[in-house]
Amino acid sequence: MSRTLDEVLFSDPNPKVEAVLRVVSVAVAVVILGSVAAIVFRFHAAGQFELRLWEYFAWPTTWAFLAKGLLGTLASAATAAVIALVLGLVLVLGRLSRSRLARWPATAVVEFLRGVPTLLLIYVCFLVLPSAGIKLSTYWMLTLPVGLSAAAVVAEVYRAGVLAVPRGQTDAARSVGMSEAQVFFLIVFPQALRYIVPALVAQLVIVVKDTTFGYVVTYGELMQNAKVLVANYHALVPVYLVTAVLYCLVNYGISRVSQRLGRARRSRASA
Amino acid sequence: MDSVLRLWANYGPAFGQALLLTWKLTAISFVAGFALGVVVTVARLLPLPPLRFILTGYVEIFRNIPSAALLIFIVFALPDLNVLIDYEPSVILTLVLVCSAFTADYLRAGINTVGGGQVEAARSLGMRPMRIISTVVLPQALRAVVQPMTSLLIALMLSTSLASQVPFPGKELTTLVAKIANDSAAGMAAFAVAAAMYVISGLLIAWAGATLEKKVRILR
Repeated sequence: MSRTLDEVLFSDPNPKVEAVLRVVSVAVAVVILGSVAAIVFRFHAAGQFELRLWEYFAWPTTWAFLAKGLLGTLASAATAAVIALVLGLVLVLGRLSRSRLARWPATAVVEFLRGVPTLLLIYVCFLVLPSAGIKLSTYWMLTLPVGLSAAAVVAEVYRAGVLAVPRGQTDAARSVGMSEAQVFFLIVFPQALRYIVPALVAQLVIVVKDTTFGYVVTYGELMQNAKVLVANYHALVPVYLVTAVLYCLVNYGISRVSQRLGRARRSRASA
Repeated sequence: MDSVLRLWANYGPAFGQALLLTWKLTAISFVAGFALGVVVTVARLLPLPPLRFILTGYVEIFRNIPSAALLIFIVFALPDLNVLIDYEPSVILTLVLVCSAFTADYLRAGINTVGGGQVEAARSLGMRPMRIISTVVLPQALRAVVQPMTSLLIALMLSTSLASQVPFPGKELTTLVAKIANDSAAGMAAFAVAAAMYVISGLLIAWAGATLEKKVRILR
């Protein structure tokens, strides 16, 4: 298909229609700019442009503090991702196992971790485990639940990848005398990985989003450090706005990488 | 088991109410978010560059912002701009915005599964673009996205736990567990009950989604 759907939908040889569309476009642009102006005016009317609410953004210490928070976010997210990738592999091996003794518990663990909110798991680590005598650091109170939640999803992603590998590959590998472990780790899994790398990278976005709950356990990630800045400068709107932009940029970046990997794979497949 | 029974005696009705509130928040956010997502998707198809630009920005922002950050902005920062929204509507608004962005994203992918030839055929029959969208493109796109929408609905249900971050009087499941864990030693049992309720709700949604998917699937 050479033309995109919307080109086909609205292509019109009639110059009158084109002219009308141009006028409507301009009108829409005016409405949008008007809304932006109204928001800016709202900021002004609420006194949100006062210098004291913004001047600390000119200080390197503010950015250093936010950067430290972002580093905390990334540290927690990276560890959670490793937990998810490793535990997800263990869980998918269980789910695909031929032994019921491995399959049922693995399935139960996946359904449980997938079906429970990350925030609830965080509360368990934060409020419940200490009363049972288990004390985790704030880092693990955040990272462990986020990693466990992601592990269940990653296990499902692995499974989809493994099931997408043609059966003939497994049969061929078995027929040359490979052991079950060799078949999985040398033949099936590497091919499955190629299908699912974009989905795994996309999963990172969810991990980064989940680490936002660091402020619940006062782990120094971006949101928690933003809260500290808010308390220091009494500037809720500017700090939370800047924080939101930072989160969006990081996650948008990850999404783009994932899309690019997906496209690269598809074009290689079609070549 | 004993502790679960004792917990049920003390907090049974509270758990029933919490589950209902969780379902209510989920249902309202999903219906509104889905409707808004469809509107955004259709508006993004219109040949109006400024509208496309702003809506693409809308989708990217609410797809990538953490819901917790969005909720905190709505609840704690907006009052500084003289926009005061009550706690429960704030939670719903957060979930609606996020749900609509993901809906728009999935529907867009669903629309891409509709062949351009069908649109050209409809046009050659003299159908207007908006009519083509509503009778040819959207129905097929909606049928193609049942699976991701089911996952989105489950994710949305889990996200209602965000309500535990704001002090509104109603208690959904996560708030209730946090409260019980604070008040008594029954935290673990409370967690087990709430987790079971979440998991079962999720499995029900997944089952309903799979049934619907089987009914409406388009074999290509």
